[in-house]
Amino acid sequence: MSKPYTLQELLVIAVAKEIHDFENVILGVGLPTTAGALAKALYAPHATLMMESGIIDFEPLLPLNHIADAHSCRGFSYATDLFSAFTMTYRGFVDVCFLGVGQVDRYGNLNTTAIGDYYKPTMRLPGSGGAADFISYAKRTVLTMLGGSFVNKLDYFTSPGYLEGGDSRKKSGLFPEGSGPTMLLNTKGIFRFDPVTKEMYLAQIHPRVTVDDVRKDIPWDLKVADDLSETPHPTDEEIDFIRCFAPAMSAGRELAMELTMANLMKQLKS
Amino acid sequence: MAERNGKVVSAKEAISRNVHDGDHLIIGNYTVGSCAALVYEVIRQSRKKLTLYSQSGIFDVEALVGSGCIDRLVTTYCLRAGGRKGGSAVERALNAGTLELEDYTNFQYNARLMAGMHGFSYIQVLEGAMVTDLFHKRSFMGEDKYRVIKCPYTGKNQLTVPAANPDVCIVHVQRADKFGNAQYWGALGSVAAAALASKRIIVSCEEIVEHDVIQSSPHLTLIPAYRVDAVVEIPWGANPTEVLGYYNMDQFMYGLFMAADGTADGLKAWLDEWVYGCPNHEAYINHYIQKFGSKCLDGIRAKAFYSAPANYGSAFTSRWDTEGRERNMGLTLDEFELTLKQRGKLYE
Repeated sequence: MSKPYTLQELLVIAVAKEIHDFENVILGVGLPTTAGALAKALYAPHATLMMESGIIDFEPLLPLNHIADAHSCRGFSYATDLFSAFTMTYRGFVDVCFLGVGQVDRYGNLNTTAIGDYYKPTMRLPGSGGAADFISYAKRTVLTMLGGSFVNKLDYFTSPGYLEGGDSRKKSGLFPEGSGPTMLLNTKGIFRFDPVTKEMYLAQIHPRVTVDDVRKDIPWDLKVADDLSETPHPTDEEIDFIRCFAPAMSAGRELAMELTMANLMKQLKS
Repeated sequence: MAERNGKVVSAKEAISRNVHDGDHLIIGNYTVGSCAALVYEVIRQSRKKLTLYSQSGIFDVEALVGSGCIDRLVTTYCLRAGGRKGGSAVERALNAGTLELEDYTNFQYNARLMAGMHGFSYIQVLEGAMVTDLFHKRSFMGEDKYRVIKCPYTGKNQLTVPAANPDVCIVHVQRADKFGNAQYWGALGSVAAAALASKRIIVSCEEIVEHDVIQSSPHLTLIPAYRVDAVVEIPWGANPTEVLGYYNMDQFMYGLFMAADGTADGLKAWLDEWVYGCPNHEAYINHYIQKFGSKCLDGIRAKAFYSAPANYGSAFTSRWDTEGRERNMGLTLDEFELTLKQRGKLYE
């Protein structure tokens, strides 16, 4: 039996496995960067890691602070600009990208802009950033959902998934064939999208979680795969890599923040 | 355009000369290495009714909005302090009705500047966004936020955005010469487009270097001298953000800002201490060191990892070889002049 792991480590590994060798990968901050580093180290050594700020083919040595963080690597292979990072995506050179979730509906459409009224928001979220264009034109999009919620109707429609489901994304004529979200990961399981209806279904469940636990968060009648699998126990190699590369990721945001604040207070006093 | 050689000024002078009430102001930096010192100076000088362009709003946009300088904001990304339970100056201003915000995607925002930089009146962007609320929900730009046109070649509908030409760009870079040639490396983002689309450009830099340094590394120059109105040398000019090759992000100071930014009172107290309470950036850094010691800043200074030099050299820089003979004709200057005379080419 391998050594004990944290939930965040399990999630990072599940995301990293979505990166295949020789692929071109756009990484977002947080979980995806650590997943990218893990994939590059263990599963996909020839993957080309990219950031939308124009940092192309980098080897992360530290978790990124943001998507323009050249301090977290020792140089990189190609310095281009943001404009070109998106036109390169538009032309089909990006295999997979990773997006966070504020609200998501059953067809993988996303809101990362505002909760409540857009003009007088209950909560103003970041906005689109690169999300709307990446999910439009990357060959695959992986949704990482650490907070956020499942809703029947988005408060604001930031980024297009499968629109009204079925062939509506394809019929719109606005997106490359076969593009769209392929997987959504949250703290309870992994969801994929039905090839015909494009509705998300539960494909994999994390250890110690029941299907009912998953359903509690979801306002529609969630479909579950006949061959529902359980996320496998991480290997020692995987755990060691993540814990060493991104200890704050292993700890999770809340604990890492608590320990950081405690240290900050200690520094302030001394 | 300022006089040649007269561009090196203080931040106070640069802002008072070039940023006016009601201007469209753009922050040239994108997430990384924001021009904090110039932003703080705009706040100190209490500029009002600005329309602010920011590719990615971080502490800089929060500070400007929180201090009441901004009526309108064009951006793709807003900072939020303290997660779901926290808040932001942008959110508070939207709810108070003192701020109008136009949301774009990263690419669309950058495309507006690319169009402006190259002199086009509009530019095609990626059509997928037509189905989203970015397209459908509009603020102060109304009909002109996006327009859909028919491509004259393919007949397909295309999404377009109008060019943006802000009145003035403030931007922080690694180094510049006294003429204004500004060199920046790292995450290129939309820095060049933001600066070059603008009518006036204020560059702050970590250090002013000799012109010869610029001439031997022109591939690093993002903004040429002839477009720059003011150059300000400000070490630590991006603190609490980072400058590649100079220093890392200052997690301690950024943490102090984020802890304050969640409430209006918290942000006001932070601005009182760190912006209004310091007459300039040097005073800000001195106050920082006096209050917390120099350990934080010393701990984030960059260790060198130099770019391999690109050789801009050539075989020779004169038409005359080491023996004084013209390289193609093989004549010395005397022989050449004699020939000109003999051939009747010279006139008294």
